[in-house]
Amino acid sequence: MRRTGIVSYWRQYLAISPFFLVFVGFNLIPVFFTLYLAFQRWDGLGDMQFAGLDQFKFLIHDPTFWLSVRNTIIIWVLGTFPMLFVALIIAVMLNAGVRFTPFYRIAYFLPNVTSLVAVALFFFAIFSSSNGLVNAVLHLLHLPQVQWLQNPFAIKVVIALLMSWQWTGYNAIIYLAGLQTIPSQLYEAAQLDGAGPVRMFRHITVPLLRPIILFTLIVSTVTGLQSFTEPQVLFGSTASVNPNSGGPGQAGLTMMLYFYHQAFDNNDYGYGAAIVWALFLLILLFVVINWRLVARSERRGTR
Amino acid sequence: MRRFRAGRAATHLVLGTGVVISFFPFYWMVVMATNTTADIYRYPPKLTPGSHLLDNIHRLLDSIDFFGSMFNTVIVACTTTVLVLFIDSLAAFTFAKYRFPGRNFLFAALLALYMLPTQLAILPQFIIASDLGLAGTLRALLIPPIANAFGIFWMRQYITSAVPDELIDAAKVDGAGFLRQYWQIAIPAIRPGLAFLGIYVFVAAWNDYIWPLIVLVNPDRITLQLALAQLNTAHGTDFSMVMAGTLLAIVPLVVIFAFFARNFIADATKGAVRE
Amino acid sequence: MELSRRRLLQAGLLAAAGGVTAACGGSKSSGSGSGSGSKDIALWYWAGGLSDKVVADSVTHFTAQGTIKPSVIGGDFKQKLTTTLAAGRSLPAITGIKGEDIAALLPQAKQFVDLNTLGADKLQSQYLTWKWKQGSTQDGKLIGFPIDIGPTGLFYRADLFEKAGLPSKPEDVAKQIVTWDDWFEAGKQLHGKVPKSFPVNTVQSILSAAIGQNTVRFIDTNNKFVGDQDHIRKAWDTALKPLQLGIDAKINDNSWNAAIAGGTVAAEVGAAWHGLDISSAGPDTKGKWRVAPTPSGPANIGGSFLAIPAKGDNHDLAFQVISWLLNADNQARGFTDASLFPSMPAAYKLPALTGGDPFFGGQVTIDVFGPAAEKIPIAYEAPADAAVAAPYYNEIIKVETGKDANQAWNDAVSQAKQIAAKQGVN
Repeated sequence: MRRTGIVSYWRQYLAISPFFLVFVGFNLIPVFFTLYLAFQRWDGLGDMQFAGLDQFKFLIHDPTFWLSVRNTIIIWVLGTFPMLFVALIIAVMLNAGVRFTPFYRIAYFLPNVTSLVAVALFFFAIFSSSNGLVNAVLHLLHLPQVQWLQNPFAIKVVIALLMSWQWTGYNAIIYLAGLQTIPSQLYEAAQLDGAGPVRMFRHITVPLLRPIILFTLIVSTVTGLQSFTEPQVLFGSTASVNPNSGGPGQAGLTMMLYFYHQAFDNNDYGYGAAIVWALFLLILLFVVINWRLVARSERRGTR
Repeated sequence: MRRFRAGRAATHLVLGTGVVISFFPFYWMVVMATNTTADIYRYPPKLTPGSHLLDNIHRLLDSIDFFGSMFNTVIVACTTTVLVLFIDSLAAFTFAKYRFPGRNFLFAALLALYMLPTQLAILPQFIIASDLGLAGTLRALLIPPIANAFGIFWMRQYITSAVPDELIDAAKVDGAGFLRQYWQIAIPAIRPGLAFLGIYVFVAAWNDYIWPLIVLVNPDRITLQLALAQLNTAHGTDFSMVMAGTLLAIVPLVVIFAFFARNFIADATKGAVRE
Repeated sequence: MELSRRRLLQAGLLAAAGGVTAACGGSKSSGSGSGSGSKDIALWYWAGGLSDKVVADSVTHFTAQGTIKPSVIGGDFKQKLTTTLAAGRSLPAITGIKGEDIAALLPQAKQFVDLNTLGADKLQSQYLTWKWKQGSTQDGKLIGFPIDIGPTGLFYRADLFEKAGLPSKPEDVAKQIVTWDDWFEAGKQLHGKVPKSFPVNTVQSILSAAIGQNTVRFIDTNNKFVGDQDHIRKAWDTALKPLQLGIDAKINDNSWNAAIAGGTVAAEVGAAWHGLDISSAGPDTKGKWRVAPTPSGPANIGGSFLAIPAKGDNHDLAFQVISWLLNADNQARGFTDASLFPSMPAAYKLPALTGGDPFFGGQVTIDVFGPAAEKIPIAYEAPADAAVAAPYYNEIIKVETGKDANQAWNDAVSQAKQIAAKQGVN
């Protein structure tokens, strides 16, 4: 029946071509080009020089790189797991049929549409060691002051809090939607069997919510490991001695920030490419680990 | 749903705390933006809004071309939204409702590549943009959002269910060509979906930071987020001025969001839950 | 809701149509004239890099010949400049180059016009020799035209010194504080009597000055890494002394402005242009600051240049603008307006410099900076110098936040060696 062959579909191809052209040209090709760049030495201005595995060898021996890896992972852990847990609790509570649910939904979703730069500047203001609101409150409560933006660990906590504030509501609402697909008969049947709220949570809610939990976990992993704006804005970039170095002790230096620093401050495109590929592999690793951890039990599950 | 008999009150308490945490930064931003920097430094801190908003805005406008950058951002965000909506809905419609050679392969490839983190491509994206002569221009900001596959996936899913095949068949019988089917059948049917994706793209374009940071240079042609970030200098920050800036930067989005909130949230979850 | 969405879509389409046109039009201009015959000169600099008043005057001064379009570029200036250079388009006719970046840009001399070909060589004798050399490549091409230099001084709060029983007049301070150790002794006394105030803001600033007091930096003229040698080690140890003595305010975050305004920082070792930072941060402390000579001798920190990108327009007119902006009178004005210490000895005698500075209580600061400028040790700065120096600055801050000093030193040296090797240094 294909008398006219492929050409007859020209309208369809034309319809999808704007997207595909831009996607291939601006997404696919760059990804491979980054890989190619990682094997070169290039400063963006002169000529490219083939460097073999030099960039990767340097990467492995670069203590700053490994520092950025540690920072990235710690920040991600601090900013993701408590946040997802709290989001789940909130969703369960919202699902309990409280009044004003639409209001809560809007209130919780709002942080997610707020500009990250604005929020970072805000956090910068309130976590300031000498004049910030947080330390003032701690002082009022007779608790010790914390050097939020100077202590290496506190810095990570601040960044993690930033991430959590932005994403908790969003994830809670996604969990809520998932919870609402669980038929209430399941809970009623379980209650008749004498199950309490915790057991129902563990054996009904969590297993049925597993795909959604996996989804949020993967999204959080991919976005959380790429944290860039928070440390970049928090620690300013006009320091003449060391721009974009991640603050005191480089405690906020995430891999993305280190990539930006090497590629655009030091004009070391080859090295930057190597860093960003290492980041990609790290993301891949964690996504696979997450998948295994969460999806694995599914096979052993009740369904 | 009697799982939390422990008290409606307790539930509301927890949820209410969450709301306070959500809203508090906005309130505090207002407090900081309407007082002087000296007030902000005071201990115990002043808890109520003051009357210095205009002063702070004045200093803000002296430091950076705030409204200029906001105007740029509005133009870029609107243009991006319309472009993405058009390109994505057209392509998604084609994938959803038509069979053509290679369709499944292309879509599967898209799915596989979708998982790649966007930041991986940013360096060559800059190089390509430079070679095309787009470095330093606002036009360069239009391209990465179009290359984002999320819109296609979401829209295709939406169109599959929102546009009944019968409608399309009926239109074909009436002699409508491909383009007319798209324009007169699909678009009206997917309006809510367009609204959702439109808001999503608009917000993302408004808030984008790293790509404009790399590509834009001239202060006449920077976006709002860049202008805001430049308020934070190495030596110190005029907090009341900066907070006035962040407040003004956030207000437009909050207003838009409040206007469309209900549908936006509902549609956002559809994409997640169906996965 | 239906109707409002359609309206939104229609409005959006209109906005998009307008947006595409605006975006198209907005990106075309960049310094190239619209064919009416008038020449556009785009001038890029950072806040405080030039006196804004002088720049404004240049616009009127050159109206007949062309339109000068100054832009104060915010954010990371070097990143924006190199990004634009890499893009190869929309380059300004004139760009500033910061002192700490010039060494790294000299190998990219192809990207800039050799100003000697535009007549700079005739002006060479009027400017400080070492500064001229700093802006030139090894084969004699002038890439950067000198704006200012950064002779260091010791800025201090005379009122707080008095309170602590220390001499407050610059001449007396100069007699008592000759070496770093003298300074730290005095600093201890200051902090002891005025516990709220510290003499040192962060060890980084001492490190910067101490390194600048040497005639060799991190890489010698044979392209050999010498960052592990005694001269750097000595600077490192000197910088850590305030921390060990408890007189370091440890301002390694962005609270410096507040610290200056509030008196937490009572002194700063910095270049002449740093005076602008101080006066901007603490306008209410006007009249209370003075300047004394740097302990153990002056160094040069910063001091910038103007350059002409090769792919910019109107080179000849651009050079005329540069030489006007940086003539003796305008350099003197740069000093009064923006604390930019002139790179032209002829300017030192002008009234703008010999008059007193109200922020410093009427002190004639050139009495300190002038001799300092003459005694600045000239050190070779390799293109990789800034990248190799970075680990030292990062690590010393880590000592401030609790790391062991020896460990930090070793880490700094090994990282610096690696970076040096990567950049092709021996």
